[in-house]
Amino acid sequence: MSSNLIEKFKNKQAFSKLKSHDKEAFIKVYDESVKDIYRFVYFKIGSREEANDITSMVFLKTWNHIQNNTLVDSKTLRALLYKIARNTIIDHYRETGNKKTASLDDEEHKIDVLDETQNPQEKMDQESNLELIKSKLPLLKEEYREVIIMKFINDLTLEEIADISGKTKGNVRVLLHRALGALKELVEVDDK
Amino acid sequence: MTDKDLIAKLNSLKNISPDQNWLASNRELLVSQISNSGALKLSAWRVFIINFNSFAKAASRPAYALGAFVLILITGSLFSHQVFSSAKPNDSLYIARIISEKAKLNTMFNSDERNKLAVQFATEHAQDISVILSDPQFNNDNNKDQVAKLNESFNEEIKSVKTHISYLNPKTTTSDNKNSNDASGTVSMANSLKDDSGVELFEEENLNQNITPAVNTTSVLIMPTNLASSATATLPIDKVGEGNGEEKITINADSILEEVKQLFEKKDYNKAVDKLKEVDEMIKN
Repeated sequence: MSSNLIEKFKNKQAFSKLKSHDKEAFIKVYDESVKDIYRFVYFKIGSREEANDITSMVFLKTWNHIQNNTLVDSKTLRALLYKIARNTIIDHYRETGNKKTASLDDEEHKIDVLDETQNPQEKMDQESNLELIKSKLPLLKEEYREVIIMKFINDLTLEEIADISGKTKGNVRVLLHRALGALKELVEVDDK
Repeated sequence: MTDKDLIAKLNSLKNISPDQNWLASNRELLVSQISNSGALKLSAWRVFIINFNSFAKAASRPAYALGAFVLILITGSLFSHQVFSSAKPNDSLYIARIISEKAKLNTMFNSDERNKLAVQFATEHAQDISVILSDPQFNNDNNKDQVAKLNESFNEEIKSVKTHISYLNPKTTTSDNKNSNDASGTVSMANSLKDDSGVELFEEENLNQNITPAVNTTSVLIMPTNLASSATATLPIDKVGEGNGEEKITINADSILEEVKQLFEKKDYNKAVDKLKEVDEMIKN
């Protein structure tokens, strides 16, 4: 309970500081969440360069909201950043004219996102996992892919996912169950 | 592949992170952009206000929950006593009565009041036990075990009454000794003046010179030596004199309790109840 209270306090504190245009608070938020946002965008878009651009854009948009005092209260600051990221991705699709299916297997832009501190076995495992997701994740429905990324890769809570996607917690739970089932089916078909 | 395996594979993708060079350059760019567009450095006072408000907002729910819990606890301890006070020692609700009484005792901060209440509760318990045991339909061989338990409880309650009365007046022991000394003084003097029958009447003047603090009556019956001590102790409260009221209550209550115990052992429950009521009244007054 006390850790929950501390978490709530930190969240409220960060929100208040951001609303007061505090530069240090914004940099802190950036440092804490840039990797998560990047990962979310990357798995949705499928391209490293575009993920870099969109991630930068997400933080600039957040700052613009702060500047214009249009920062909407959200359950958590993390949920707010994901909402902005989600909208930025939609804007990106609109601008490029077509909804590009996430394809993480672009040979021309080979992704080197593995942690260099890992040992060779871990690297190989992660490579095979990445290959698996690369090939199967884009085949999932957009909303299935989104909840899987948020829940199992970026560790968001059901409450946060519900807040971001505008669904109820129950709906998110059902969606997650179905998404996992669909991904499992795809992986098993491949195994056979 | 099980769901667990699949989730484990998905979890392993947490290690994916952007290029470190990009991270550093993007941070620099962002800092320069926000520095040129109205970013502020908050004063210490402003930070304090923000922290205070954030804490108040974050702690509001647990604080309300705690407040509600304390309110329920206090209300419960105040009113549950009235609900359960009619429960008798052989009822299933008796334990609830004991708990509510303990809760009520624990909410009292004045130790004297708390001890008075504890005496009152224990006396009431003893009375209830006496009433139940006076019922021949209950007090028979079929309920042997329960009767034995109640007897034991009765002794405990009497012990508890005595203990709390002694807490009410910590000087009890001293005053007791003092009184017994006074009594023996009186008795030794009486011995020197008594005739063969051992009983003698004194003139008021004589008596006041010797035992003024103890007796107010115009004439006094001096008891034989073996009865003198207990007679002094069992004098009614208004006849004891003008000493410390609490001490008198203690002495009287102690002797009455001894009588109650004896009556209880003799199975004279009705008289025991009456005596207990006396103690109860004495404490209340």
